Amino acid sequence: MPFKYVHAADLHLDTPFRGVATQGPLLGRFQDATFRALTRITDLCLRERVAFLLLAGDLFDMKDRSVRARLALRRELGRLDAAGISTFIVHGNHDPLSGDTGALGLPASVKVFGPDWEEVEVKREGRRLCRVQGISYPDVEVRDDLSARFRRTGDGFTVGLLHANLGGVEGHANYAPCTAAGLGSRGLDYWALGHVHTRAEHALPGGGVAVYPGNPQGRHANETGPRGCMLVEVEDGGMRRRFVPVDGVRWHKLELPLSGTGTLDGLMTTALEVVESICAPELDGHAVRLTLTGRGPLHRELSRPGALAQWESDLREQLARGHPPVLLESLRDSSRPEVDLEAVCAAGGFARTLLDEVGYLAENPDALAQLWEEEALGTLCQRLKRLGVDALETPRAEWMVQAGLHGVESLHEEESS
Amino acid sequence: MKPGLRIDSLRVLGFGRFSNLTRELGPGLHLLYGPNEAGKSTLLAFLRSMLFGFEKRGQPERYEPAHGGAFGGELTLTTSAGSLLVRRIASRRTSEGELSVRGADGQELSKEWLEGALAHVSRELFFDVFAFRLDELAGFERLTEERGASEALVAASMRGARRLPEVMDQLRKSTELLYKPNGVKPSLNETLKALEDVQARLRLEGDRPARYFSEKARLGALVEEQRALEADLLEMNARLERLTRLEAALGDAGSLAQSRAELQTLPTLESFPVAGESRLDEGLDRRRNHRAEGARLALKLATATADLERLSAPSGVRGREESLGLALAAYTERAVLLRALPSRRAALAEKQRQVELALRELGLPVDGPGLLALDLSASVRVALEELASRLAAAEATHREAEGTRARAVSERERLDGALRRVDAELAALPQERTSQLRQQQAGLGRLRTVRADMERLSEQRAELHRQFESVRTPGEPQATVAALPLWWVPAVAVVAVALAVTAWLLAGNLVGALCLGVGLLLTGVLELARRRVEAARDADVAAQGARQRGRQQEEERLRSALMALSAREEVLHRELLAAAAEAGLNLVATAADMAAREAALADALERAGRRELLQREQEKLRAEHTAALREAHRANEAVGEAEARQGHLGAELAAHLSARCFPPTLAASAALTLWREAAALRQRLLDVSAEEVVLAVDAQACAQVMARLWAEAAAAELVPGPVKVHGLDAGAVEPIATRVASALEQERARALERRAVEERHQELLAEKARLDGLCHDEEAALAALLAEGGSPDEETFRRRAAQSRRYVELTGRTRELSHRIEARTGLSETSARQALIDVGGEQGLRAALESLRGKHAEAQERQKAVLTECGALRHQLEQWENDDALAKLRIIEESLRAKAAELARQYAADRLTLALLARARRRFEEEQQPRVVQLASEHFAALTQGRYPRVFIPTGEERELRVGDGQRDWSAAQLSRGTREQLYLAFRLAVVRDFGETRGALPLIVDDVLVNFDPERARGAIHLLAKLSEHQQVIAFTCHPWLRDAFAAEGARVQTLDATPQEPTPVPVPVLKAG
Repeated sequence: MPFKYVHAADLHLDTPFRGVATQGPLLGRFQDATFRALTRITDLCLRERVAFLLLAGDLFDMKDRSVRARLALRRELGRLDAAGISTFIVHGNHDPLSGDTGALGLPASVKVFGPDWEEVEVKREGRRLCRVQGISYPDVEVRDDLSARFRRTGDGFTVGLLHANLGGVEGHANYAPCTAAGLGSRGLDYWALGHVHTRAEHALPGGGVAVYPGNPQGRHANETGPRGCMLVEVEDGGMRRRFVPVDGVRWHKLELPLSGTGTLDGLMTTALEVVESICAPELDGHAVRLTLTGRGPLHRELSRPGALAQWESDLREQLARGHPPVLLESLRDSSRPEVDLEAVCAAGGFARTLLDEVGYLAENPDALAQLWEEEALGTLCQRLKRLGVDALETPRAEWMVQAGLHGVESLHEEESS
Repeated sequence: MKPGLRIDSLRVLGFGRFSNLTRELGPGLHLLYGPNEAGKSTLLAFLRSMLFGFEKRGQPERYEPAHGGAFGGELTLTTSAGSLLVRRIASRRTSEGELSVRGADGQELSKEWLEGALAHVSRELFFDVFAFRLDELAGFERLTEERGASEALVAASMRGARRLPEVMDQLRKSTELLYKPNGVKPSLNETLKALEDVQARLRLEGDRPARYFSEKARLGALVEEQRALEADLLEMNARLERLTRLEAALGDAGSLAQSRAELQTLPTLESFPVAGESRLDEGLDRRRNHRAEGARLALKLATATADLERLSAPSGVRGREESLGLALAAYTERAVLLRALPSRRAALAEKQRQVELALRELGLPVDGPGLLALDLSASVRVALEELASRLAAAEATHREAEGTRARAVSERERLDGALRRVDAELAALPQERTSQLRQQQAGLGRLRTVRADMERLSEQRAELHRQFESVRTPGEPQATVAALPLWWVPAVAVVAVALAVTAWLLAGNLVGALCLGVGLLLTGVLELARRRVEAARDADVAAQGARQRGRQQEEERLRSALMALSAREEVLHRELLAAAAEAGLNLVATAADMAAREAALADALERAGRRELLQREQEKLRAEHTAALREAHRANEAVGEAEARQGHLGAELAAHLSARCFPPTLAASAALTLWREAAALRQRLLDVSAEEVVLAVDAQACAQVMARLWAEAAAAELVPGPVKVHGLDAGAVEPIATRVASALEQERARALERRAVEERHQELLAEKARLDGLCHDEEAALAALLAEGGSPDEETFRRRAAQSRRYVELTGRTRELSHRIEARTGLSETSARQALIDVGGEQGLRAALESLRGKHAEAQERQKAVLTECGALRHQLEQWENDDALAKLRIIEESLRAKAAELARQYAADRLTLALLARARRRFEEEQQPRVVQLASEHFAALTQGRYPRVFIPTGEERELRVGDGQRDWSAAQLSRGTREQLYLAFRLAVVRDFGETRGALPLIVDDVLVNFDPERARGAIHLLAKLSEHQQVIAFTCHPWLRDAFAAEGARVQTLDATPQEPTPVPVPVLKAG
């Protein structure tokens, strides 16, 4: 019997957005964005008459302690319950079972998997549609490969619901680490994964597929582009997947080259045109991180005291007036003065010595680590970590390269000023 | 040495004071020698500008030509890539000027060729190290003091690192602004503090969802309790209400029982008419009123009948009112006209008399009808007016011509007088020319200036003579230290030996040997003293020689200055002769002579000016006089013409007047006036005749009206009988008219009164009939009312009416009480009474009520408390559901985290850059510095003749340039000024040489940097420059002859710069002089 289901993950309901001011007209749109995304997922389920909804962990963030998040979840799942649609939930590292998940008071049609492996059959008109297996995180830190506990128990379509890091994706904590081979060996048809916020599909050995739908609403400038959930149609053992965007506010990272523009007004016009070209009008809002790049004469004009700040303020104001409004998350100046690095290196002298030193440090991690400690950056890192700030974890060679480049350019800039 | 760049020749098109200046240079050592202001610094700036661009506009070293013209020049260079012609000309577009580079065959090359030839040296490094002045040597000293020589060394030696100290300083400041491990103010410290605060506030908020759900459960329990309480209260309310109602109905039940008992005693009176007694009284009253009204009507009817009879008596006027009215109206219409007839007749007669009198006064030979027959039409008047105006115009022209002639005669006489006066004044003035006088004045002024110049010159000459004499004064005498003659030593030795031999002979061996020893020792002491004296004398002689050479140089300089002054004096003398000749004075004229001559010249100049002015005025007056004569002649001719025209017009007018019976001698204006008066009189005659006709018509009409009125009055018996029409006059008819009018008025009033009386009579009759009907109806109604009340008479009726009122009252009261009991208890009267009995009567009811009320109040209190708690809980929950304070705190926390991460990265980047720059600097110094320092040591040792053999940079963070003399070390600041400058020069020469060996040999250009060196060290420095010039070009500037000689001694090619100001004209190529 053909059926459909929706797979979503990492709702992070009522989670704070980075780079949004706590005052101002755009705050409301951003605060409601995660709730609206959930509502759109529910609407999709009702519209497509799906058999069930899968939520693969991190429905909300314990840290946020948001009552509204719990209530919204209850309300939306209540709508599905009224329509006879089941929901399967596993909890992840941000909303483990050790938190307050027991008091949610969810409708009867919602199945929340416990800390041990469980399997549930989904039936329609007395016939089994498929099997759903899942495990929730008992605590925040789960370092075991939970996927190893999954197994095929019989014929028919089988879905594994899990919050896990497949292949050790960088930028996400390595919880419940697993591999494509490991997942493939479990013999399931569809792995409904959560945890990694970027949409991805992994074909598994043995014919199955592991899918990260990504989070349904981007929350900061590193979560750009359309965000949503996965609609899966199963018919005669075959499967059709379709990504459905549900985000209300979309993030963009844009680069604006200085070359080819002679005036700040011209640069403003170009910036507005670029932003307008990528901001879809049907959304509730957009947030943009703009990075000035390239080398050009405007670099010096922007380097004057207050010039960049004024330009940013003007741009922010103009973007906020648009329809839909656009939030300028930040303006970063990565533009460089007009330096011919090759010529500088070829000329030898101090710049050459500087770059030689960079090469030495980049290739000798011990020397770099020693420099790192000499500059007391390790101590600073510890202090930041205590406050939950992830920065300066390890000394990296590319930082030295950037520092060298910065040095050469500073000397050049000063020389020509 | 790597091949670099050499300047072969320079050509200044326009730069500072130079224009079209050409100099040939070439390999080796060059010296450009010239006094102060000869343009040495200008040439240094020129060479810098040609190679690196002009200074910015407004900078003093831009050297834009003051007199305008071309700004720029050319350099011919020899480079490793061949010969280059570099040309730079000022341009509006860029302050640096337009650069053009051409190859040996003239083809255009890019400017990179020049940069390549300069080995990509930066402008700043070239200016600091390769082409500098004395003050820039000191600038390097400042840099050393501020930053330490180590950084300065890097800065001075290598391209791209010139600003290293500033960059490192900026980075240090930037990192300190970002973060300090124990700081509070830096951005990252502040951000971390804010983050800690926000996290503390978040901790205070606690686990909100857990609290929310537990409070929600508590709210559910409270709602249940509240529902139960509500039900209890409802039930209690119902009971309480029932009992309260029963209590309220207790009084009404008693009253109802009493009313019922009284009602039983009364007969049945339900059909008795309502309000019967009042209705009976009203009927009786109405009947009485009707009867009184009938009596009053009968009286009024009798009066009306009597009036009617009085007004029906017969009258003569009656029946003739219309014809009488018409006749009277016609008379009234003409009455005014009739009364005015006599006065109009008198006025007409008066007018006729006045017209005749006026005609006689006019004096024309005609009477009234004759006047009417005269032709006084408008065309005649127009012709007469035209003639009069033409005559007036002719007279005006005549008067104008007379006036013009009189003015011309008077103008001619005025000009005659002015001419005579000018001629007389001209004859009195002498004849002198202004230009000659002005030339003499200028000559006098120049004479005075040249004399002042000569005086200043003689003072300068005297001063120079004094200096020259003082220099020539014979120097100090030869050293007078007398030397000990050499022969004294052997003589003393021989004496000592002789004495020793004598002692040996006299006293034996021992004494002899002792004497010999003492003698030889004395001889040795003598020799030592002699040598010391010799050495001191040699030193004095050498110092004296050096001073003598200095004096000779100074003497030479003063002699050349004296010669220049002599030449200048000769020129001034020639100028003096020329000026005296021009001023007309001889050379020995005193200042008083010149002042007198100047006053005389000024006076003569003033007289000559006056004479020229008068001559111009005389010419102008003669021209005006000729014009006045012509004007008088033209005025005479015009007067003649006007008189002839006037005579012709007079004849024409006389003919015109005689044709109309007017006196022919009349003037035109008088004839016109007479004509107007005659025409007016004629009109008046016509008007009088017309008025006479109108009066006759009016008299006829009035007579007819009067006759008709009289006839009508007679018919109405108002006058005795008929009369003839013509016998009537206005006075007789007037009373008749009055009488007719009064009779008509009386008749009209009587008719009106009669009509009114008849109408009133009719109304009275109708009223009487209505009253009779009303009386009858009232009687019938009274009889019916008595029958309805079941009473035969009025008295019985009134008694039964009182009983009926009490019956109705009691019935209403019982009904009302019964309704009230029902309304209060909600029960029927019977049920209420039964319920009261059930509850135990009045006593039982009150006790039950009290107990129930107590329970009810308790339940209400509890319900209120529960409701309050529910409200508070709901409010709290609602607040948690909608409150975004926590969300905002989380946003702030995340934003602060992001900001802290960003700042930390920025801080790390700056720290790493800073550390990297420091490491690179150390590495660079280790690898590059020894060679430069070694060269600097060599140069400094050579400059100081080995006094300081070592220049070095001690290790340590704050390193500086130090020198050692073999015994101890010295910092640059501890050295004397000259020695310090030698150190910096040595350091620069080292950098120049190192640069030449590693990158390319560039020319070294120095502007008088050796002036603070003593002659020996200056020669050492020049020797070093000469050695350097074997590999690369060296160009030096100086204004000191002794330095020039020293350079010449080292084989420099010396060129002299002229101190005289340059004019913007081509100058010949100066002669080159080999050193």
